[in-house]
Amino acid sequence: MNSPSTQFVSSRRMGVYDPIQQINMWGDSLKSNVNLSASIPLIDEADIKFDSQSEDASHGILGTNIKYDQEASKPVDKIQRRLAQNREAARKSRLRKKAYVQQLESSRLKLMQLEQELERARQQGMYVAGGLDTNHLGFAGPINSGITAFEMEYGHWVEKQNSQILELRNALNSHIGDLELRILVDDMMNHYTEIFRMKSAAAKADVFYVMSGMWKTTAERFFLWIGGFRPSELLKVLLPLIEPLTEQQRLDVCNLGQSCQQAEDALSQGMEKLQQTLADSIAAGQLMEGSYIPQMATAIEKLEALVSFVNQADHLRKETLQQMSRILTIRQAARCLLALGEYFQRLRALSSLWSNRPREPA
Amino acid sequence: MVSENAVIVFGRRGCCMSHVVKRLLLGLGVNPAVYEVEEKDEEGVARELEAIGGGGDNNKVQFPAVFIGGKLFGGLDRIMATHISGELVPILKQAGALWL
Repeated sequence: MNSPSTQFVSSRRMGVYDPIQQINMWGDSLKSNVNLSASIPLIDEADIKFDSQSEDASHGILGTNIKYDQEASKPVDKIQRRLAQNREAARKSRLRKKAYVQQLESSRLKLMQLEQELERARQQGMYVAGGLDTNHLGFAGPINSGITAFEMEYGHWVEKQNSQILELRNALNSHIGDLELRILVDDMMNHYTEIFRMKSAAAKADVFYVMSGMWKTTAERFFLWIGGFRPSELLKVLLPLIEPLTEQQRLDVCNLGQSCQQAEDALSQGMEKLQQTLADSIAAGQLMEGSYIPQMATAIEKLEALVSFVNQADHLRKETLQQMSRILTIRQAARCLLALGEYFQRLRALSSLWSNRPREPA
Repeated sequence: MVSENAVIVFGRRGCCMSHVVKRLLLGLGVNPAVYEVEEKDEEGVARELEAIGGGGDNNKVQFPAVFIGGKLFGGLDRIMATHISGELVPILKQAGALWL
């Protein structure tokens, strides 16, 4: 039989309250029915003392006369009852303590995880750009450094875009020369090239992020087509704003619109095919099998095609902008870019207004 | 095969980008010949196509690859760019892939 006193002493010696050790010892103690918890031992030690005492008492008394026996048995009953109650109380206390410690442990782990994430985010300078409203919180999963970098860059990109728009507006109002205007136009064109480059990198980091237009404001996302705007739609919006046009120009813009439409249709059909093949590869074999590892492998290969789609769509957007700059004169191109920039500014403003609008009380 | 057809598209089987190229050409009124390449044959076919080439310095073949008038024209990138700039249709007409 275990000697309770020595084990009790050893736990005391450890000094530090180490919950995992305690739990292990409790595990052992439950087996041997000897409790080593710091707060309980007195009762148990006392239990054991009483146990042995009551045994001795009953042994010693049995031999003598009955009267003495009856009187002695009353305190024995009481003692037995008290012992049972003590044991019960001790047991309940142990269970409560165990539950509490387990809770502490899991909270501790969670806290550690949160601290790690916070540190990571702080290091990467997690930047919530103007376009990210509460919808951003839906972006679940571990922090993706490629995406946090993109979000930060995008914030800067929008700022620069706004200042370029302002500059262009002032320039057009002030009748500056064509050469200076060309510089502004080229700057803005390069700026668009920049966002396409950024998106390409972001697509490699997380293609679904780009496909869902997560960095855009809500109203912008309404018009989303393969991770950005639809060129033919924008052309329709911009055309009336860049009049007057020569006949040739009008024809060229019209043809451009048509080519855009055709290219967009081809890409959309490609996307549909991708959806279909993805659905097929996920459902391959029998659904309800319970195991789907091979399907996942093929599906992941298919998903990688999404990156190409984003790249091709952005390529189309870029080429459309280039073609417009070829068709138009410098002044017309400047007005076109200004209109385009303002259009997006208004969309962003709309998103803001929408999310801040007063809601009806429930 | 390349010389026989005004337009021929070489693409991986089941590749969605090949599908995009095909749909675009079909949308223009072109009826391209299509050759589907098996994954295991990719390397070999690419080599062969590069040899036929005739498309200029940048002869590296990536799928999907389009040949127009017997010469390597390029991939989806080039198709898109030339279509937007309006150059694609005249090229196709010249190769006899398009009438009207």
